[in-house]
Amino acid sequence: MNPLPHKASLGAVTISRVADNQWHAIENDLVVGRGHASRRLDGRTFLSIDTWRDAVFDRLAAAMLTDADQSTPQYTVVDETDHDLTTNWERAGLTTWRRESEFAVPTDLTPTAAPNGVVITTAQEAPLRELDQAIRAEVESSVGWQTMPAEVLPWQGGTRPLDPSKYTVAVRDDRYVGLVRVATMTRRPRIGLVAVLADEQRQGIARALLSQVLANLHRSGFEAATAEIDETNTAALALFEGLGARRTGGILELISRPGKA
Amino acid sequence: MPRTANGIEVEGTVVECLRNATFRVELTNGHKVLAHISGKIRKNYIKIVLEDRVLVELSPYDLNRGRIIFRYRN
Repeated sequence: MNPLPHKASLGAVTISRVADNQWHAIENDLVVGRGHASRRLDGRTFLSIDTWRDAVFDRLAAAMLTDADQSTPQYTVVDETDHDLTTNWERAGLTTWRRESEFAVPTDLTPTAAPNGVVITTAQEAPLRELDQAIRAEVESSVGWQTMPAEVLPWQGGTRPLDPSKYTVAVRDDRYVGLVRVATMTRRPRIGLVAVLADEQRQGIARALLSQVLANLHRSGFEAATAEIDETNTAALALFEGLGARRTGGILELISRPGKA
Repeated sequence: MPRTANGIEVEGTVVECLRNATFRVELTNGHKVLAHISGKIRKNYIKIVLEDRVLVELSPYDLNRGRIIFRYRN
């Protein structure tokens, strides 16, 4: 296969919307770029563009933003070190509105005891679902909701999927008061969620939960787990840094606000 | 129906994480390419780390460059 010339003037690029959420850049009957929009369960739409040429990127971005619902913002995600891609999106009018740090969390920690009256244990579905709903209700009423990571699992029959085997919970007087969710599908387990009911916070429950979860991972042969934390979430940053977590990178979430580009 | 200008898709292993969100990937034929993450993978918060097995779409413009379009779980 012979590589194509990088900057050849092969003809005019046309942009076609080939599906409700897909755009193609076509030049001389070739697809030279693709744009995609994904609507998440939280209602936000995230854009992505794959092309090898900046000029094609610009054309796709312009078309996608023009076609987008003008009453709602559009989002995208870039690695904080990917300056070229960040510049491309900024040229299209997007601005950074959120930054998330990625951490590697060591699993060989000195165990932290749970506060008096609190037991750390495995989860059962019914009380776990109750706690999940209670925490979501608390968070939704604060600014924290918009900085929660995206849910990627589709709902099933109107019910949010909840796999108890991924959770470790803190229990006080038979009431679930805190949880940690860990996914171990890849070589490096990911701490997906740490949450404690508002009236049970600042007692060391989250630290005890994480301590136990990390110890279990260590026994299973994992040397570290990963976690992502919004840079404005100072409580979570302090919690993980207190556990010896090391920052390994970060992502930027960019936003296009219609009428303000 | 337009033809696609996608490059060849080849499996490989991430052997080095570089600056600017790029990775050096050793393909199954031993060739090493510089690759970045596709938009769809990035949008789904999928992380690429050292020794990950990945599927790379080679650039039709430069066969030493590629785009990671899939990460295998193991």
